[in-house]
Amino acid sequence: MPREVAIVGCGMAQFGNRTDKSLMDLLKEASTKAMEHTGLGETNVSALYVSTMLAGELTNQTAIASALADELCLVPAAADRIENGPASGGSAVKNAYLAIAAGLFDIVLVVGGEKMRQVPGDRITDLLATMTHPTAEYIHGVTLPSLAAMFTRLYMNKYGVERKHLSMIAVKNHENGLKNPYAHIHRKITLEGIYSSPEAEVNNPVIADPLRLFDMCPISDGAAAVVLCSADIAKRFADKPITVAGVGQATDIHAVSQRPDPTTLNAVKISSQQAFKMAKLEPKNMDVVELHDAFTILEIAESEDAGFFEKGTAHKAVEAGVTSLGGKLPINPSGGLKARGHPVGATGIAQVAELTWQLRGEAGERQVKDAKKAFCCNFGGFGNNVVSFVLKRED
Amino acid sequence: MKGVKCTNCASVFYPKRDCCPKCKSTKLDETEMGDSAVLITHTELWAVPKGISQMPLVLGIVQFDNGARVLGQLTAKEVKIGMHLKPVWAVVRKIQEKEVYGFKFEPV
Repeated sequence: MPREVAIVGCGMAQFGNRTDKSLMDLLKEASTKAMEHTGLGETNVSALYVSTMLAGELTNQTAIASALADELCLVPAAADRIENGPASGGSAVKNAYLAIAAGLFDIVLVVGGEKMRQVPGDRITDLLATMTHPTAEYIHGVTLPSLAAMFTRLYMNKYGVERKHLSMIAVKNHENGLKNPYAHIHRKITLEGIYSSPEAEVNNPVIADPLRLFDMCPISDGAAAVVLCSADIAKRFADKPITVAGVGQATDIHAVSQRPDPTTLNAVKISSQQAFKMAKLEPKNMDVVELHDAFTILEIAESEDAGFFEKGTAHKAVEAGVTSLGGKLPINPSGGLKARGHPVGATGIAQVAELTWQLRGEAGERQVKDAKKAFCCNFGGFGNNVVSFVLKRED
Repeated sequence: MKGVKCTNCASVFYPKRDCCPKCKSTKLDETEMGDSAVLITHTELWAVPKGISQMPLVLGIVQFDNGARVLGQLTAKEVKIGMHLKPVWAVVRKIQEKEVYGFKFEPV
């Protein structure tokens, strides 16, 4: 029988334009905060998983997990770097889960980070585009925003989603981000300012028609960390250990054009179903959710394919305020990728950290009242590798 | 323009692949894609990656008469869902300063 696994602490290094810190510094800062939050004291970490997509390409440092083990004085802990595109963080948490569940390790530190702001935007855009299909997509100049744009147009035509719904998500997530001290963007925006006023055309320019600037997450630096351990020792570190109740992961056909229905995110569907089944819970049982809104349309599509809303109806729930803080199902109280930012390797871990704070009642101004069960999904590529988790607080 | 057709379920794919994602068959035969495709979605991209010289870059996904959907650059600026397009062989971008060829789509 696999062992139960708990999350006992988390920490983040401020997301944003971190000219003041190296990637190693950011990873160290988030790790140290997570270990302090856990209250590890003299207890040794048995392993370290480090998620980063572009450390080798952007910071001239490879084998970064081994280096970090020494920097944090965790030697001789086992250490691996995990790279799975934008789902690297989710994959790293999943690997920690597996190692603890299997009985190989007792206490594992998972940390992810990225330093993306120090190179020109077109280079980052191109590096991120290298995860698309090499001959069906990449050679044609495809970028992630362009895939999201073509996906959005299909979605609009099929389901009646309008630009205003996308803008509502941006407004909501910016509003939430104002309450998150670690968020990259602390800026209130309004529907008038980015959608309905004459100035909106200037404020919110087209990047990949029909998507505009405020439909996209920023390019960010930052790091996030969590500490996981075997549930039987979790009470040593936390009064309220959070259980990893469900884990799921699935892939999808690489080229978006070759999928049977390009508007269905099948890997979101399958990985979330796996996670809910394992947790013996359903989407309707969730109190708070973190989704991978690299583009506003993804919050809509993921919330449907993960089972929270019928396909083609999530935009109406957004309009009705269901997914706002204070609504029936708050989505992205952290600000999501839109406002918290998206240092690629950190994102999946930042989602788990946010839910851990939420379930422990430590989320401050953005706290979802008495949240006990939570879901997140970390979306790699354009949905061709997705990792989902169901977390719950044991009472 | 040549793709592959699954000998088991008749699905067609471009570019070529070794196994059918629909039925898992590994028996796929080369097939001529033909000249007739319809635009199903598109975008005008104003933030282009390194190696692309035109701005904006117009991209689309077309559906061929054989059912295969293919992504590519569109040569026309004014495009509309449902318009008829045909593939043309051309330089699509530079990768590490080397010209790369592929199919673009132009109005019929």
